[in-house]
Amino acid sequence: MSDNNKKWYSLNLNSRQKQPKTSSSCGCGKTEGGCNSSQPVEELSAEDFLEAAVNASIGEEVKKDGFDQVFDVKMSRRNAFKQLTASLLIGAGAVSSCTSVISSDESKEKSQIDWEEQFKGNYKLMEDDEKKGTVERLVRSYQLRTGKTISLSSKNAEKDVLFGYAFNISKCQGYMDCVSACVEENNQDRDSQMQYIRIHEMKDGKGFNFNEADDNYYHEVPAEGHFYMGTQCFHCDNPPCVEVCPVQATWREEDGLVVVDYDWCVGCRYCMAACPYDGRRFNWSKPEVPEEEVNKDQHYLGNRMRKKGVVEKCTFCVQRSRSGKDPACVEACPTGARVFGNLLDPDSTIRWVLENKKVFRLKEDLGTEPKFWYYMD
Amino acid sequence: MNKSNRIIQVLGVLFLIILVSSCKHKEDEYHSITDKIRAKSKNYHGVTISSEKYFDDIKMMEITEGEHTFLIPERKSQIKSFKCTECHTKPLHKLQTEGVQKAHWDIALKHADLNTMNCITCHNGENMDELKSLTGNQIDFNKSYKLCSQCHTKQFDDWKGGAHGKNIGGWAPPRAAMTCVNCHNPHKPHFETRWPARFNTQKIIDRK
Repeated sequence: MSDNNKKWYSLNLNSRQKQPKTSSSCGCGKTEGGCNSSQPVEELSAEDFLEAAVNASIGEEVKKDGFDQVFDVKMSRRNAFKQLTASLLIGAGAVSSCTSVISSDESKEKSQIDWEEQFKGNYKLMEDDEKKGTVERLVRSYQLRTGKTISLSSKNAEKDVLFGYAFNISKCQGYMDCVSACVEENNQDRDSQMQYIRIHEMKDGKGFNFNEADDNYYHEVPAEGHFYMGTQCFHCDNPPCVEVCPVQATWREEDGLVVVDYDWCVGCRYCMAACPYDGRRFNWSKPEVPEEEVNKDQHYLGNRMRKKGVVEKCTFCVQRSRSGKDPACVEACPTGARVFGNLLDPDSTIRWVLENKKVFRLKEDLGTEPKFWYYMD
Repeated sequence: MNKSNRIIQVLGVLFLIILVSSCKHKEDEYHSITDKIRAKSKNYHGVTISSEKYFDDIKMMEITEGEHTFLIPERKSQIKSFKCTECHTKPLHKLQTEGVQKAHWDIALKHADLNTMNCITCHNGENMDELKSLTGNQIDFNKSYKLCSQCHTKQFDDWKGGAHGKNIGGWAPPRAAMTCVNCHNPHKPHFETRWPARFNTQKIIDRK
């Protein structure tokens, strides 16, 4: 292929010049390897033939490394402009409507909010006034869109608090009241029936055998010869999901909660792959909650409305726990199988459980240090 | 010769430093969560938040059992027809005559067997306003857990510590807990079987 045929600019960052070995001056003007295959076969050796055949089917791609495949894209000027314009349009739209004299004050304000939200930073790195700013914008934005007011908190971790959880496997009867309460409290998508908590029905005498356990049973419970145990995000103290996040959209707070900034998450789902406990959920579609069912008591890191393509998970109901309440699952459990509290308070019930009952954690040997213990009567 | 020895020494020290420092977790100076809890709770000063406002609609009373002090809901005001002596004006055998309208007909005792328990194991025929211990001492209706703990000693220990039973309000102090009869019907303390609160139909589709 000759250089004057080239309609795109290539960043020639690696020294390897890609010159096609077989001549392509066949006059047909095609840049793809299509005309190579039309050469008489008897003139080629076996090796040349193979190369020609590969060229004919997938063209030059085979010789390009990942970098070239991304940057050496054939793109006409028109195409390039089209893509550039599309991405600029979003921003331009916001600017035009907020400077326009015709559009209403409300839509101007909306665009102003959208603009500022678009270019805000990672919540993890925000100062308190920046957190307050984004929370106020989100509340106003919700008000403008739905006409309803929500209470959105940006409450930071309390000093001298480290949250921990204990689950009594002899007490759980599998009623799943916790699951229901969790879905309602945390505004989870109703369409995909997302659930943070899974209750596993396990056969007596088989131990913790997740392969044979059923986490979606529907019969009267407790069933004969079975026991029940729940899993959710364990808020590991050494969380592998945080470690793998390429954009630091998830982190462990001072009070031990592992949280996600839904506005910083890029939806790569590395964290889901890294979690050994299946603690994270992904929004494949835009989460939908009927307006009258939306829990309006929200926290930025907790149950505020998510968007499509972000990861979410149990936050020990940060909107509740940071104001002194128990998570919704603890409050809903009719059997008292769930204990929640401050691990740093020597007089707390969670500490008594850890010190006086025989406790264990799931996959303890991984070193993830979950702050979620199981115990028996 | 001397120079290369020194290089080896320096390298050895460097290696040891790396070995020691890499042994610990990246962010924390603690090796395990139990270490962290132990170290960080040494200087525990308490928290500024309280869960009191979450149960201010419930009448509470403070109890101290062993080394545990906490709140439980007051009971007498919750019993529909307390005081019992408002009806129980006469001795029981006089109330039990035929033809008189029956009371408490809906109570069927399903708690241990009749060899172990009947009505007067807990109720005092002489004084209906109080409960009765196994040895005949009076137990206040508000402290009915003292009655239960006569047999259920293990559950009582767990309840005092917080491993059995249920928290009221929230994790933040002051500690408030349900008492036995808030969850268990004393005449029929077992939990019934029932259908789970929800069933995930989407999971069935996804897993097909």
